[in-house]
Amino acid sequence: MNSARVEFRGLRRRFGSTVALDGLDLTVEPGELIALLGPSGCGKTTALRCLAGFEQPDEGEVLVDGADITRVPANRRDAGMVFQSYSLFPNLNARDNVSFGMRVRKAPAAKRHARAQELLELVGLPSVGDRYPHQLSGGQQQRVALARALALEPRVLLLDEPLSALDAKVRVTLREEIRRLQLSLGITTIFVTHDQEEALSMADRVAVLRDGRLEQVADPATLYDRPATAFVAEFVGAMNHLPGLVSGDGVTVLGQTLPVEGPSPDAAQADVLVRPEAVLVTPDAEGDGIVMVSSFRGSTARLRIRLGDGTEVLADVPGHDSARFAPGTAVRIGLVERPVLVSARSETGAAAAVPEPDVV
Amino acid sequence: MPLLVFVVIVFGVPMLVLLGGTFTKEGTFSTANLTESLQGAYLTALFGSVKLSALVAVLGGVLGTFLAQAVVTSRFRALREAVLTASGVLANFGGVPLAFAWIATLGNSGVVTTTLGLGQHGWSLYNFWGLTLVYLYFSIPLQVLTVVPALDGLRPQWREAAQNNGASTWQFWRYVGIPVLTPALLGGVVLLFGGAFSAYATAQAMVGSTVPLVTLKIADALTGNVLIGHENVALALSLDMIVVAGLVMAVYLPLQRRSARWLR
Amino acid sequence: MASLTPQVTPQVTTQAATGTAPARGGRPRQRGATAARSRVWRGVVLVLAAVYFLVPLIASFVFTVKVPDQGFSLDAYGQIFSAEGFGGSLLLSLGLGVATIVLVLLLTLPAAVAVRLGAPRLRPVLEVVCTLPLVVPPITFVAGISTVLRWGPDYLATTPLYQTIIAVQNPDFPVVLVLAYVVLALPFAYRSLDAGLGAIDVRTLSEAARNLGASWPHVLLRVIIPNMRSAMASASFLTLALVLGEFTIARLLSFETFPNWIYRISGSQAQVSVAVSVFSLLITWLLLLALSSAGARQRSGS
Repeated sequence: MNSARVEFRGLRRRFGSTVALDGLDLTVEPGELIALLGPSGCGKTTALRCLAGFEQPDEGEVLVDGADITRVPANRRDAGMVFQSYSLFPNLNARDNVSFGMRVRKAPAAKRHARAQELLELVGLPSVGDRYPHQLSGGQQQRVALARALALEPRVLLLDEPLSALDAKVRVTLREEIRRLQLSLGITTIFVTHDQEEALSMADRVAVLRDGRLEQVADPATLYDRPATAFVAEFVGAMNHLPGLVSGDGVTVLGQTLPVEGPSPDAAQADVLVRPEAVLVTPDAEGDGIVMVSSFRGSTARLRIRLGDGTEVLADVPGHDSARFAPGTAVRIGLVERPVLVSARSETGAAAAVPEPDVV
Repeated sequence: MPLLVFVVIVFGVPMLVLLGGTFTKEGTFSTANLTESLQGAYLTALFGSVKLSALVAVLGGVLGTFLAQAVVTSRFRALREAVLTASGVLANFGGVPLAFAWIATLGNSGVVTTTLGLGQHGWSLYNFWGLTLVYLYFSIPLQVLTVVPALDGLRPQWREAAQNNGASTWQFWRYVGIPVLTPALLGGVVLLFGGAFSAYATAQAMVGSTVPLVTLKIADALTGNVLIGHENVALALSLDMIVVAGLVMAVYLPLQRRSARWLR
Repeated sequence: MASLTPQVTPQVTTQAATGTAPARGGRPRQRGATAARSRVWRGVVLVLAAVYFLVPLIASFVFTVKVPDQGFSLDAYGQIFSAEGFGGSLLLSLGLGVATIVLVLLLTLPAAVAVRLGAPRLRPVLEVVCTLPLVVPPITFVAGISTVLRWGPDYLATTPLYQTIIAVQNPDFPVVLVLAYVVLALPFAYRSLDAGLGAIDVRTLSEAARNLGASWPHVLLRVIIPNMRSAMASASFLTLALVLGEFTIARLLSFETFPNWIYRISGSQAQVSVAVSVFSLLITWLLLLALSSAGARQRSGS
């Protein structure tokens, strides 16, 4: 299967008064899996639908291997799509669903059935060909939908939150399987999700969108360790906002001076962004902090610590250590020595720990 | 349960008597009533009813579906609400008042008839086609009520998935849209048939007995408009009707179940 | 799903908009043309429907207020109330309606609750029982009833049942009609009550009440019925509408209910009978509109 390069150029789309896409520029390399990540309403689904042909951008163009396909009708584009849920045709069994595209193209029945069987085996469902969608579980339905999207050997695979309607467990196995399949087929894949964990664990690169614009596109590790903007830092993983004092290339925070990553703000007073796992906690009866809440998560435990000046800090400690940090324990905290991201002081005044984004 | 006892007495006894009466002639068991009910004028009436109901069902089904589609695809929310509420009311609007409303409109001295001078062109409401026109008045809304939920149940993803697989609009309707809607559409048509088949009040008020219909024949027979010794023909005719209506329901229920499964 | 919904409706708008903006390439103009065509088609369908459904209503009204050589007059509506038989037949129908409502609720509510709580296996039986009256056309039902009433006296003359049969046919208040109407109303009443019960999760409610020490009658009267008010109202409205409009059974058993009265006077006073039709239609509409808006309010409230 030959894979395509996909380019979004200056894509703009507005619905009434809301701007879904506001000049999106993004290039997807052949064979890569890129995740479009962002809160709902950030335009990620609209971008995907512009590529699939279900939306027309008001401005800008979509290019596949350099060819402008912006005005090509949806049924003549070379992109297979998997929808959020319930997209299988209810009146057709799994095999006929998968071979729908070949039927539309008037392929002989024997040939398309053989091909459908091949695809069902590929997605790990060799024996459900005769079943109807209502007889399949949610995970099975999405596998069949994936087989259907791959049936016409598209050069681009589009996944629109395909896992969001599934149980947590199925979600994890299926995402691993999608990734495995994508790697073995080498097909250019665009994956829309609002789940940062999903995006980080599956994608070659993650593009974070906000209000119809690209905030950052980078591989998962870079995105997590070196978020380009405060928005990305907060959206991907949990983040502490600690009050700091900027001087030259360094910033003083909680009594430590750390180098500043990226541009320094003009004001001396700034927020220093620190990941919970970069906060070091040791039990110390003389310490300045008190553990308020401890939530055990298996491999780690997340602590909410209140310092003497009222600042709240989130910190992760190894799960087996959680017994030492019961609520009420006095602790001393420090930060891992490494460059930190600094942003302008938030309006909320004294920096408070950000509430954690919901990780489902 | 008191409900079951009640139904057995009030509903079951008349039905048993009906069954018994059908097969009784001059005190002995006989199928003569049934045979008679399937001959001559009675057979004509039965056919007349089936023909009228089938025509109303098909026309009402098609027109109602068009109306439902127009309402569902419209982007005016208020229009949709208005049509659905009106359909709820009109689908229950039958009987004598309906007949009179139409007589006042297109009857011999009806407002539209006299205004447009239709009388000179040989127009008459009091025939088979007139009845069809009037029956559609409650049948189309009924079809709208049945079909709108089904049209709403057609998920946009299906159309998009079909496009994504290279299907044109026509191919989407042919392979997915129409097959998915068929049970609901047919179910609606069957309901319309049943409604038109058992209607009596409207027909009685409009045409008396000038159009042969089985309900009118039964009423005639019950009110003594038959030869002595043939009273039980009314019962036999009733049994014929129940059989037809039962067949109709036997078609409807599985269709409805399938539709509910697809469009859940 | 949530992210799709807001995008579906505006899509129509923008397609229509591209249709009016020919500066775009060939493709969107074509799509715009399709959208415009379907809009025209939709308009034609809706206009035809409006004509078909509104003309008889308007014409009926015109018919009742148009007096030859005089023009406009509301006399026909005034005559309704003075017409002979109007009050009696309307009262009879209303009385029958009330009796039917009471009886149908007394029968179906306990049955519906019992099926939900204690005997779910009886549900199919109940469903079938409540579908039968839809399968059997009213006219065949009345054929059966009239036969029973005709033959009954011959066979039962010596038993107390004879008295019963005579009593149910009392022309002042024909109980037999109430019984027949209960059967006809069963499907509608059962469905709306069952839907109402489905919406409140009777099992949990009654278990909670039992857990707090309430007796069964107490549960039914104080917990379930108050929560079922709107479902019971809708069942009652539907039953009332059915009884007020029922013609077949009353006519063939020769009782002069309201619809039969309209039918009888149509021969001599055509205008008045149409006026009553319009009038009764309006009342039915108001009832059903009240019902559907109450239902809508409840849906949005919950």
